[in-house]
Amino acid sequence: MRPFKYTNAKDVPSALKLAAGNPNARFLAGGTNLLDLMKEDVERPDELIDITRLGLTQIKATGSGGISIGGLGRNTDAANHPLVRQHYPLLSQAILAGASGQIRNMATNGGNLLQRTRCPYFYDVAMPCNKREPGSGCGAMEGINRMHAIFGWSEKCIAVFPSDMAVALAALDAVVKITNASGEERVVDFADFHRLPGDMPEKDTNLSHGDLITSIEIPKNNLADHSYYLKVRDRASYAFALVSVAAAFEMKGNLISKVRIAMGGVAHKPWRAMKAEQMLIGKEPTEANFKLAANAEMADAKPLEHNKFKVELGSRSIVRALQMALNGGKS
Amino acid sequence: MNEDDQSPQLTEDEKKLFEDLMPEDLAEIIDAGVNRRHFLKLMTLTGGGMLAWQSAVAEQVLTRPLAPTPPVTFNPETIENGVNVALKINGAPQKVTVDSRMTLLDTLREKLDLTGSKKGCDHGQCGACTVILDGRRVLSCLTLAASCEGKSVKTIEGIAQGNQLHPVQTAFIKYDGFQCGFCTPGQICSAVALLDEAKNGDASYVTEDLRKKSGPAMLSKEEIRERMSGNICRCGAYPNIVAAIQEVHSGKAVEQNWLLV
Amino acid sequence: MKDKNTNVGSPVSRIDGILKVTGKADYSTDHPVKDPAYAVIFKSTIAAGKIRNIDSVAAEKSPGVLAVITHKNAPKLNTKGGIRGGAMLQSADVLFFGQHIGVVVAETFEQARHAADLVKVEYDQKEAKIDFEKLHRNGVKPKDKEDEKRGDVKVALENAAFKVEETYATPIYHHHPLEPHATIAEWQGENLILYNSAQIVNGAQNAAASTLNLKPENVRIVSPYIGGGFGSKGGQWGNLVLAAVAAKMVKRPVKLALARQQMFNSVGLRQRNYQKVSLAATKDGKLTALVHETATHAAIQDEFVEPCGDCSKIMYDTPNSLITYRVTPMNLILPTYTRGPGKSTGSFALESAMDELAYKIKMDPIEFRLKNEPEKDPSNGKPWSSRKVVECLKEGAKAFGWEKRKMEPMQNVQGNYWVGYGVACGTYPAHQRDSSAIIKLNREGSNVTAIIELAAADLGTGTYTILAQTAADALDLPINKITVRIGDSDLPPAAGSVGSVGATSYANVVNDACMKITDELIARSGKQFFARPTAAQLMVSEKIANIQTRADSKPMESAEQYSSHSFNANFAEVWVNQSTGMVRVKRFLAVTGAGKILNPKTARSQIFGGNVWGIGMALTEESVVDPRFGHFVTRSFADYHVPSNLDIGEMEAIFIKEDDKLANKLGIKGLGEVGIVGVSAAVANAVFNATGKRIRELPILPDKLL
Ligand SMILES: Cc1cc2nc3c(=O)[nH]c(=O)nc-3n(C[C@H](O)[C@H](O)[C@H](O)COP(=O)(O)OP(=O)(O)OC[C@H]3O[C@@H](n4cnc5c(N)ncnc54)[C@H](O)[C@@H]3O)c2cc1C
Ligand code: FES
Ligand code: FES
Repeated sequence: MRPFKYTNAKDVPSALKLAAGNPNARFLAGGTNLLDLMKEDVERPDELIDITRLGLTQIKATGSGGISIGGLGRNTDAANHPLVRQHYPLLSQAILAGASGQIRNMATNGGNLLQRTRCPYFYDVAMPCNKREPGSGCGAMEGINRMHAIFGWSEKCIAVFPSDMAVALAALDAVVKITNASGEERVVDFADFHRLPGDMPEKDTNLSHGDLITSIEIPKNNLADHSYYLKVRDRASYAFALVSVAAAFEMKGNLISKVRIAMGGVAHKPWRAMKAEQMLIGKEPTEANFKLAANAEMADAKPLEHNKFKVELGSRSIVRALQMALNGGKS
Repeated sequence: MNEDDQSPQLTEDEKKLFEDLMPEDLAEIIDAGVNRRHFLKLMTLTGGGMLAWQSAVAEQVLTRPLAPTPPVTFNPETIENGVNVALKINGAPQKVTVDSRMTLLDTLREKLDLTGSKKGCDHGQCGACTVILDGRRVLSCLTLAASCEGKSVKTIEGIAQGNQLHPVQTAFIKYDGFQCGFCTPGQICSAVALLDEAKNGDASYVTEDLRKKSGPAMLSKEEIRERMSGNICRCGAYPNIVAAIQEVHSGKAVEQNWLLV
Repeated sequence: MKDKNTNVGSPVSRIDGILKVTGKADYSTDHPVKDPAYAVIFKSTIAAGKIRNIDSVAAEKSPGVLAVITHKNAPKLNTKGGIRGGAMLQSADVLFFGQHIGVVVAETFEQARHAADLVKVEYDQKEAKIDFEKLHRNGVKPKDKEDEKRGDVKVALENAAFKVEETYATPIYHHHPLEPHATIAEWQGENLILYNSAQIVNGAQNAAASTLNLKPENVRIVSPYIGGGFGSKGGQWGNLVLAAVAAKMVKRPVKLALARQQMFNSVGLRQRNYQKVSLAATKDGKLTALVHETATHAAIQDEFVEPCGDCSKIMYDTPNSLITYRVTPMNLILPTYTRGPGKSTGSFALESAMDELAYKIKMDPIEFRLKNEPEKDPSNGKPWSSRKVVECLKEGAKAFGWEKRKMEPMQNVQGNYWVGYGVACGTYPAHQRDSSAIIKLNREGSNVTAIIELAAADLGTGTYTILAQTAADALDLPINKITVRIGDSDLPPAAGSVGSVGATSYANVVNDACMKITDELIARSGKQFFARPTAAQLMVSEKIANIQTRADSKPMESAEQYSSHSFNANFAEVWVNQSTGMVRVKRFLAVTGAGKILNPKTARSQIFGGNVWGIGMALTEESVVDPRFGHFVTRSFADYHVPSNLDIGEMEAIFIKEDDKLANKLGIKGLGEVGIVGVSAAVANAVFNATGKRIRELPILPDKLL
């Protein structure tokens, strides 16, 4: 870990100002990802701006019937908030599927969205990695890529985005509220928040230096009765997803009137399964229909040498998550 | 080893107390030279009943402090980007100056002589460094000491209440919730905080109905397992750890079978 | 507290428990030392070649740095001194990825770690041998392992009514004790103190001394508490002597702890094995041939081959048998003993094959095993000192509800899960090793206390507790009158806590010492006694204030005539998610015949620990090497998955009563290893019973069951 200056920001304007003044500065929130990567010598800021005393932790109903979650609130509090549990159990579940009790107590909602890939070539400074060191090559492409992407990857990068929380947020059509270095606010749709790697895998998101996530908003929906977050992993707990699925739908009579499906562990960003969603609208929630939709979605997958299984696993996981959602989350 | 190690000059009263509690160690302490300060700490550390039972290695207890010793004054050149931090550790106010890079874990272990918290991975991947920060379990290896200004830290050294072991500690001994013991401080801090989380009605990934925000949650074994999964035990003491927590949580003894046939 | 002489065999809570639950047990780097400096090792980033240049200027200039040590300035060490795995900065040669190539010592850990990142290394790279898949076919006979052949397996296989010929693969596994290898080295003049976890205290002392060109008496190992070892702290590795070298160079005590990521290629590993097992049987299930051929790898400069064929040599009665090994040197760190060396991996192959054959014969796998129970040790014709496999299987079947198992797979469905039952046996040799102990008795008034001293190790095995129990009974003292001092090379030399010899060797020598001191007290009294008095009684009646004696114990010579092993039967119930392929072991039962159980509480924990390891082998653990670079892609604790709490379901342990006085005086056989043997096969067999899928390559990750 390189030496750095530690600054404790007192309020939002001073945090923004500090960041604007130093291109090598980083915000320090829970630190669970940033410090990990600094110890690995992957992240090399020369200044950390501690933003944990800025407030921005509130969870409250919005005027339009949705919910607003503070960017600096902790994952544990988001998962356990009565409004979230009652109206967005999908989000609670996704958060609780991630990491461990200790880490969720530390991790912030904003930090969670900005955690970086767990690709082992990215983490190991002895290895080539275009995301860490543009132009050095992708170590995983010809290497061991069991954990890597099957959708949306580029020749430059096949890493996946590891967050669970973000998968639920993608399914729930969340928006991210951001204040930039000059104090201007903007709202970004979740679909536009994370990027595909393309030619610039070093950029995970569409944020600029000094942008501060102040809150995340989820619009009102009626998906709570039928939602489920399914996470498939190599051990029962405390492991990142091989594949995960956030599935939720609304019924009118015995037909699906609205449906949201997003996948984790398959792409450089939470992967909205739009094709599957479209196929399910107006259909009965039967296993056969779930399978058709899942297979249609996975037909576009482009697996790599070691992750061909993710196509079949992805398809089964979509079906299973929808089934669980149908039963109100119970098996 | 310790500079201040010397034959204890025990008062008659202390000698009497010591003889009552652990007579078998008196002679040894006198010739092995454990110091009086440590001796007194032992007295506050352990309940009498446990002490006799655990006497075989009580000498070890004597050589380690309970509360942080006043920080050694470091050569300022060894601190880069120094940050002054005032915080509470196990109830006692502390002031330390740390290199901005220093984690809470390394500060406890290397500066404050509180070596109970363990470094199993230094990257958030094992839970051995778990401490309770402002009432919540966190990983001290991913917490910068610099960020702890004004906070209150409870470490394994502060879990017992004066003379009295915490029920979780007693249960860990009773159910053999450890083997090598290296994960144990983290497991116990984690378990102590978990009991409060359950009281708050917090949910986990295996909670049956998330939408039912209930009062205090009665945790099944499966719930305890999931909630303790952030603490790796390489020795594999998991079933016993779960039993220990279950007893404290439910207030009911858990069956331990010694099956010899 | 307890009735007379009933400590041994009682579920006494660990006497070191209070230290462990209060954070007061001192592991290596917990020992207080004055003004330590901090050392961080840096490692090679190629797998084969030579270091052309190390540029350490930036590191040396970095604040707080006291020394940068590389092969250019490191002192000459004796590389044949017993430190394993090389990597002690003795030349520019690089033999594997992650080899230690230097050490930075600084005022603080933060400074040392940062400076280590600043070192720039240039290499002349050579082609490395890494791809086991390609290389294993060219394996050669290991130096110390001849092919072992009985009868004619070829003919038996050709004429078999039923046979199985399959290859079983196990990946590289790591020990990963939760305490990473760490040392405080402190020089006091010519004398060196090493606070360092050691499963073999005297072994660590000798290896460090010899490597550093010192006399053993100048080196002291202090290791009262060990944060797990599992074989990796049996032999010692380069980091130990590098700490001593660093301390010498900076003239201060030095703390050197390996990072978790460094543990992957600093302290050995369990090697990858391809095991071909061929079994032949008659129509009614009598084995006629057993072949176990292991292909594995070792380091370039050194050989270690785990004995995968060991179980196959003794488990079943067969007239024809062949056990072979072939080993390929590779550019990976030297493999070493890992919990249940050879047996845990070997039993996966053998016991999977037994299950496959039973299924072919349409015979219950328990019945099949009972049918092939050998009367004597098939490998050498010796009688068993004791063998309780039949009892293990029968008692286990009863307790587990084996009758509920369906013979055909995929018959037991619970909701979205396939449920399956599996069984597998295991074994591990029981030995006693030379050990010495001193016992000291003290008396004040009528209060008699005892101190037991020996250079034994407790890595969570319960040594402190079982020795206190043993001494309490042998001396007739309450257990709280016994102090146990171990883990220090200044104490009388003792066996290591390795290969399941610890409990046997330690308890026997402590018992001998207690008997000896009682004899000496009787002699000193000059009296004749009708009934043998106890040491405690004699101390009081003869008014003796203190006395001490030393016992040096060796295994009984007569034990050589017998074949002594612990045995078990493992039962697993697995639930396999039909959609995702995720496997949970819902119930696990191990039934063990392991001689005298000194403490059922700690014994049960030992078995559980072995079982958890076996479940990890079966389901979650795997290290993957990138054949292009030779590094572990599974490079951290987040990538290499040891089981978490939720991976483990209900566990139960049953011990079969056994009083094996032929093995050793106290009839102890050891538990540390046998608990893992057979476990992964029981799980894999249960997965087959659940799903109909036979997984012959561990671990059984979700993708293998889709
Ligand atoms: C062992 C381990 C296992 C884990 N397992 C999982 C898992 O299974 N699933 C999962 O989803 N996650 C998992 N995580 C990741 C964890 O969820 C993230 O590390 C965490 O959410 C990051 O949040 P943080 O507040 O700690 O971020 P930090 O580490 O503090 O910050 C991360 C990045 O975000 C920036 N940042 C933080 N907050 C803001 C803000 N408000 N505005 C702008 N920039 C900001 C920081 O500058 C930094 O670059 C795991 C982590 C560990 C260590
Ligand atoms: S040391 Fe902090 S989680 Fe492992
Ligand atoms: S007791 Fe050894 S790691 Fe848990």
